[in-house]
Amino acid sequence: MALIVIRGDTMVPLSLFITTALRRRMAAALAAVLFAPAAFAEEIVFKDQGNREVRLAKAAERVVSIVIPMASTVIALDGSTRKLIGMNPTAKSAVVEGILGKIFPEAKDIPSDVTAPNFVPNVEALTAANPDLVIQWGDRGADIVAPITNAGLTTMLILYGTEELTRDYMTMAAKAIGKPERIGELVEWRDRVQKDIQAKATAIPDDKKPSVLYLGRALSDISASGTKSNYNAWSIQLAGGRNASEELNGTVSVNKEQIAAWNPDVIFLNAFEAKLNVDWVYNDPILSLTNAAKSKRVYKMPLGGYRWDPPSQESPLSWMWTANLLHPEVFKYDLRTEMKTAYKTLYNYDLADSDIDNILWLKEQGAAADYAQFEAK
Amino acid sequence: MAPMTHEEMAPAARRIHLARQTLVFTLLLALLVVAFTVSLCVGRFSVPAGRALELIWQGISDPSRELAGIDERIVLLVRAPRVVLAALAGAGLAISGAGLQGVFRNPLVSPDILGISQGAAFGGALAIMLGIWGFPLIAMVFLCGMAAVILVGLLSRINGRSETVTVILSGLVISSMFSAVVSLLQFIADPNTSLPAIVYWLMGSFATATWERTLVAAPGLILGSCFLWMLRFRLNILSLDEAEARSLGANTIRERWLVFCLIAVIVGSQVAVSGIIGWIGIVIPHAARLLVGHDHRALLPAAAILGAGFMVCIDTLARTATAAEIPLGVITALVGAPIFAALLRHHYRERTGS
Repeated sequence: MALIVIRGDTMVPLSLFITTALRRRMAAALAAVLFAPAAFAEEIVFKDQGNREVRLAKAAERVVSIVIPMASTVIALDGSTRKLIGMNPTAKSAVVEGILGKIFPEAKDIPSDVTAPNFVPNVEALTAANPDLVIQWGDRGADIVAPITNAGLTTMLILYGTEELTRDYMTMAAKAIGKPERIGELVEWRDRVQKDIQAKATAIPDDKKPSVLYLGRALSDISASGTKSNYNAWSIQLAGGRNASEELNGTVSVNKEQIAAWNPDVIFLNAFEAKLNVDWVYNDPILSLTNAAKSKRVYKMPLGGYRWDPPSQESPLSWMWTANLLHPEVFKYDLRTEMKTAYKTLYNYDLADSDIDNILWLKEQGAAADYAQFEAK
Repeated sequence: MAPMTHEEMAPAARRIHLARQTLVFTLLLALLVVAFTVSLCVGRFSVPAGRALELIWQGISDPSRELAGIDERIVLLVRAPRVVLAALAGAGLAISGAGLQGVFRNPLVSPDILGISQGAAFGGALAIMLGIWGFPLIAMVFLCGMAAVILVGLLSRINGRSETVTVILSGLVISSMFSAVVSLLQFIADPNTSLPAIVYWLMGSFATATWERTLVAAPGLILGSCFLWMLRFRLNILSLDEAEARSLGANTIRERWLVFCLIAVIVGSQVAVSGIIGWIGIVIPHAARLLVGHDHRALLPAAAILGAGFMVCIDTLARTATAAEIPLGVITALVGAPIFAALLRHHYRERTGS
């Protein structure tokens, strides 16, 4: 028989007074009493980079990354593709074009319909995927976050830009997927390589530092970045270079005449544009006259488990590659051996020599200055 | 606003009018030459003005010689084609605007009204998304621009005729349709590669100008403008009242469409090589009308010269003001919108007589 309370002159079943929230709280209290040790042992709580508290009852088993670089990071942190159940279409193109699709062929089947490339989530597809954790940008407005949290999904917000932020969000992700033991070694590796490069680079006098231009885009319009809080400018400086386009504010379009005026000693081309290669510089009437082209110091950024231009789990390899190219007389990293070790750790994969050649575009730019150092011995 | 022809004027008034026209054209041409010269001498890469002019002279007198130095290449391969292309595009857009305003008997319409720009924009955005660059992209842009005009033509044709207002409304429909598809393409574009490229391209730029591109766009721009100029008498008639024009023996519908097609060729060629550039086609013809009056025989060349000079100035500003290239659409809108606002008010006052 239902319990009835009398309010005014009507009788109302008591169950109406017990709200869903109250019910949940009661269930939680009951669960706490019954399974106290087990339930709390697994709960994962941390502050994300949007300064929100993220609470997971247990390690996330099903992760969706709406941000691009984190897809491959989640795979690396877990050492498998088991936990990644959705990613950005642009992240998927890196999987298909690069070596990750070869190491983990099943990664090519992970859906990418959970979000538009511009990070606007497809909430229905996302909810249908039933993720335990959704990784989203924290600095691109609430519009791309609210739909996910409104759907009741646990969301972790991350910020882009600096090495500190990268280490921090990688650590958070490792914790969230229940692999905190994986991160120590990766952060330690980043720290060790960064300090090693820094120590050697500080000994290089300023007038020996080449000016380096990184082109974030090249084919339809050409864009370069200022130094302020730009990751590529930071890694150029780390490896003992000067950012040729430091006078810019943000990442903006520039023309070839401006590049001629800067006359960089080294040009790095992005790994995002699949059709872009060093011939784009050598065949250009203006760019082919820059110091960089004349001394054959034009290089396209490698594409490994992820593109080497933005921060990722492979960043130390990217820094060593940059340092070896900017100052071959100072930095003598054995990049091939480093890559083999790193890929074993990150993806439990034994890199073949041909894999390394492909990642470093040896066939396409093997003739570039100082590139012979990366050839198989 | 039926234009008064020279023949209708008294001889004395006609002489004054002619003298005035000659003076205006001389000044306009002089300004264009100055804009050209200054534009060739300034840029982010420092080339002394004297050296730049010397290089231009060498380039003209011996076009086949080998270009070795970077200053030679900057002046002759970067700035020169850019200035020429900007001038041709500016002239084409302005003359298109003037022609279209005559046909519609409304000084507030612009070439965008036929949906050409948005159609062409769709072609360009699609090409960028598909990773198509260079001449195939230009071809795709041009064809989509033409397709838009054809669609407007089909849509506005009712019982074998198309009224002006139907054309405008059809243009609006097709234009919105294409801009919706462009938005869709932007939505699904890769934010790291194609999206910024599409956005930048939609804002208009001559940054990619080369002699090859100039040669691709030039035939459409020059021939389209010349044919429009040949129609100057027809335009004078078309800008009369519909019934009056018919009574003068004009087949208004056929001639109007001839004008539209020429404008599609001009604007399609321009958008194909430099993205969408707004406002020139609406503001410049009006300025030219203030200088030389409504007669298309004077109005078309005046608009062309003024458009060329204005575009060269704007582009010079875009490429030299900061290390970053400022998109042209931004500057033309910043300059054009206030002029358009003033124009609207002026019109309103004239109409209401206050």
